[in-house]
Amino acid sequence: MIFAHAMSLLAQTAPTNELPPLLVRPLPVWDYWYLLLIPLCLGVSIVYKSIKCQTMDRVPREATLIFMWILVGMIAAAGVLAALVGIVGR
Amino acid sequence: MGISANRSPLPPPLVALAGWIFPGAGYWLIGQRTRALTVGITILILFFLGILIGGVGSVDAPSLGGPDSLFAKVLQKPWFIGQVLAGPISLIAAWIAAVIEAPLSHARVMEIGTLYSAVAGMLNLMAIIDSASRASREAE
Repeated sequence: MIFAHAMSLLAQTAPTNELPPLLVRPLPVWDYWYLLLIPLCLGVSIVYKSIKCQTMDRVPREATLIFMWILVGMIAAAGVLAALVGIVGR
Repeated sequence: MGISANRSPLPPPLVALAGWIFPGAGYWLIGQRTRALTVGITILILFFLGILIGGVGSVDAPSLGGPDSLFAKVLQKPWFIGQVLAGPISLIAAWIAAVIEAPLSHARVMEIGTLYSAVAGMLNLMAIIDSASRASREAE
């Protein structure tokens, strides 16, 4: 209830300047959506290894390694699923 | 990156709270500056990439008004649980999306934007737990 009240109070103080359209509308990357996997995997790898490693000098190497493994795993999973869909769809 | 010996250890709940308010701040408080910058910058980049890809409407807070129970309302938009873990920036983004009535899309990019910001929040949860754990080990 407090959260709802706070949100309604904040809504009354609407910002007068609009956000740039770039941040309001979705980015037109419909044809390249699969490439968005790369920065996400990179971010997950860096944060995960920064948390896991005892010393930070090991992070670049370890993060690169796990990033490659995630990408390979995702591509393999996509291949298997595509084959499965192909078989079921016949 | 080292922890200074002449500093009194901080209570883990304070470190966890700092980590929620600003990603990476928990590590910064316990003296692990490189880890703080790496984790904080990466989480913020992921969160803002999510907004850039899906638009600010991809951070969509559940409406808390109405007769349904709080649990049911939160379950209507479960991704917000992950997003809110990224800190107050998620609440600000949800507020802006509500105020400007940001267009909602059911396209794949919207889902990817939501995924980015939710993953950023869940990574921040891992960082919060780890920094608080390191602070408690430092306190012992």
